Amino acid sequence: MLFLQFLVTGIVTGCFLILATIGFSLTRRVEGFLNIAHAELLGVGAFATWWFNASRGWHIIAAAAIAVVITALVGLGIARAIYDPIRVRGPAVLLITSVGVAFVIGGVIDALIGTGIRTLDIGLATSYEPFGIRITNYQLLVVALAALVSVSLALFLNRTRTGLAIRAMAVNPELAASRGIDVRSTSRATWLLSSGLAGLAGVMLAVIATLTTDLPFAQILVILAVAILAGLGSLYTVIASGLIIGVAMDVSVYWIPAGYRPLVAFAVVIIVLLFRPEGLAGTRAA
Amino acid sequence: MNWPQLIITVITIGSILGVVTLALNLQYARGGMINFGIVAYFAAGAYAYAIATQPAPQGLDQYSFGFDWPWWAGFVAAGFAALVFAVVTGWPTLRLRGEYLALTTFAFAEVFHSFLINERRIGNGTVGLSNLERPVSDWGPIEEKYVFAAAAALLLLVTLIAFRRLLNSPYGRALDAIRDDEIAAAAVAKPVADMRRQVFLISAVPVGFAGALYAMFTTLAQPSLFTAEVTFVVWIALVLGGERPIYGVVLGTLGLVFFEEVVRAWPFETVRSAQIAASVEHVVTGLLFIAVLRLRPFDRISEQLKARA
Amino acid sequence: MNNNSSALLSVEHVSKRFAGLQAVGGDDGLTFAVDKGAFIGLIGPNGAGKSTTFNLLSGVLATDTGRVCFDGRDITAAQSHKCAACGIGRTFQTPRVFESLSVIDNVLVGADSAGERLLGALGRSWRVRESETIEQARLALERVGLGSYSDDPVTDLSGGELRMLEVARQLVREPKLLLLDEPTAGVHPGLQERLAELLLNLHRSGMTLLVVEHNLRFLLALADRVLVMSQGQLLAEGAPSEIRSNPAVISAYLGDDHAV
Repeated sequence: MLFLQFLVTGIVTGCFLILATIGFSLTRRVEGFLNIAHAELLGVGAFATWWFNASRGWHIIAAAAIAVVITALVGLGIARAIYDPIRVRGPAVLLITSVGVAFVIGGVIDALIGTGIRTLDIGLATSYEPFGIRITNYQLLVVALAALVSVSLALFLNRTRTGLAIRAMAVNPELAASRGIDVRSTSRATWLLSSGLAGLAGVMLAVIATLTTDLPFAQILVILAVAILAGLGSLYTVIASGLIIGVAMDVSVYWIPAGYRPLVAFAVVIIVLLFRPEGLAGTRAA
Repeated sequence: MNWPQLIITVITIGSILGVVTLALNLQYARGGMINFGIVAYFAAGAYAYAIATQPAPQGLDQYSFGFDWPWWAGFVAAGFAALVFAVVTGWPTLRLRGEYLALTTFAFAEVFHSFLINERRIGNGTVGLSNLERPVSDWGPIEEKYVFAAAAALLLLVTLIAFRRLLNSPYGRALDAIRDDEIAAAAVAKPVADMRRQVFLISAVPVGFAGALYAMFTTLAQPSLFTAEVTFVVWIALVLGGERPIYGVVLGTLGLVFFEEVVRAWPFETVRSAQIAASVEHVVTGLLFIAVLRLRPFDRISEQLKARA
Repeated sequence: MNNNSSALLSVEHVSKRFAGLQAVGGDDGLTFAVDKGAFIGLIGPNGAGKSTTFNLLSGVLATDTGRVCFDGRDITAAQSHKCAACGIGRTFQTPRVFESLSVIDNVLVGADSAGERLLGALGRSWRVRESETIEQARLALERVGLGSYSDDPVTDLSGGELRMLEVARQLVREPKLLLLDEPTAGVHPGLQERLAELLLNLHRSGMTLLVVEHNLRFLLALADRVLVMSQGQLLAEGAPSEIRSNPAVISAYLGDDHAV
């Protein structure tokens, strides 16, 4: 029974990881580099929610909505001001620069918020115990959101003009440009989308976790694990790999101390990389 | 502000981190490998020194091993530990390229960090190991801090000379060739995989020594001293100094450490302002990083000098 | 089956597929032998599998089936650098040079210096032989007509000159077998003449040559035997004069714009 409980918690963790990683993978896919600062964007979302909700007394839904919008705009602003001018230098320089960006965002959040635990002004979680397995309404919300986001992202990328343009850019930017796709507005849509998703994941982090200023950056580790496992830049395998890593981390608690959860995540990644050096998706873009 | 003290600290810490930057420079600028987990080799050295030299556990100690060896044996053990860690981490990761290598080395370092925190039998978990052995306590008229500064500078110098000698030889030329084009290098019989592994391993050893020196200097081995931040700081120093001229790397490290130490030594009135200063230090470091990558001031200066010559 | 004792290289039933498509091999695999000291031309239309064959021989690609023996050793599974160490030198269809190095350093990488080993590099003994090695490298550059560029960055060279640089990089190694992949492409006529002379000299000095070339006028004047490949298989084999008049070759290959 306890094992099943860990399994269910693992699925919830996995769903959060899907939310946190999918924007990261989208950036990698379309913009071609690993944006380490993505984790700090989760922090922007989480603390913006906290500020509007706990300090200003807004309703959680309003606070969350404005936080997602703010995060999306911050992400777009950073891309335009910092990443775009050095695009030509290639993915390694962009990756290293994004570490600097993560430092800046982290430092600003630290300076504004300060140390200590922050809690949202929302009711305590309600627990349900179907078949003796405990799950809270907030955990269910994470699962529902992950499902909703995955489905709507798939629909968006396959059915809408902007979505199709994003996919075309990911495959071949020059070709996309020559076929009349507006590269600039498509790039803007990508950044808004991926940063908005980071904001949403940040909101969820604020809802289910004990929020401190160093928490967002700690997520980069597991985000990387999920992204590598999925195969960098692939989107649909993120769903499978998020669940695999979430479940592996939480079920491992059944046998070994909880402090080893990140270790388990990377053990999975390292084992997979030994057999498939390009991740689960197998090729660069799946 | 106590300037002489500050300068001594900058020389000591700057030289210790300078060794790490040199190793990173060898791996990245010459070997073409992005190592985002360099702090782990540094930590491995520090912990190896601590474990080798500390007395056997007693009382409240949670750690299981303490060999009570003399300091020099601990120093050697530190280099060896970093080498062993490089063997273990290099085996699965060196087949990978570019960003995959960057991510897995980063992951290894984080896993090692979480291991140090959770496995209390190694080094008391988050509390860490303290009161570590220093070589000699009585240096007569010379203050101990000068001895440490000199030792750190010496380690830096020896590493610099050894690396320079290696890189100015045909070995360095072959490394450049491998970095530029692996297939072409293999076509002239360069053992590409072996040479990459060699570079990865030999650059880890001085990092282990630097870790031991750091442990001696701070008399501490604690997980909080060895976070990913150390890796990033060293990367920033590498970027600041420019990749290629090996001296630039050292100057970059010293400059960055100077800046950080000034912020740390600044007399702040309240806890809150000190806290904000620490955050601002982060922000400024990050901005510096972004600006240097974007403007590449040092590359331009050296290009201008070249053009004039 | 070629069990000829004078064969330096023997290729037996070798095949290679890419994503299910046969690149080299056909039904029975590719089989041929190269005698010691021979000068062999390898021709065929685009996509015939010539460059893939080179990649298989030099260890850049692994064979799916078959066996490759060189100088009495089975090198079927050998990695690229091992093949090179055995004495197989090669150039590439698109030149591959070391962009951050100068012209002379590109050639020096080809020489196996004692200072290329880790412990050797830290010692001093490699310095003794280095000046000799540099002299050899200059000579090699001289032989391919790049003598006056030795201290320039490689980025200053033209595409044809890069090809010559690749040849020089192999010359300092004195390979037993030299594989040249389209050595005249993009090389101006003056340099081509020099190349022809160089190849004949190498041939006379006993080096074994296997040359892929689209410029048949150039190749057929030099080679003493020609292999014709088409769709991954050996279509014909013989002296240049026989190849010129072989109807199968003419229909498969000489139909295109590379007329003799």
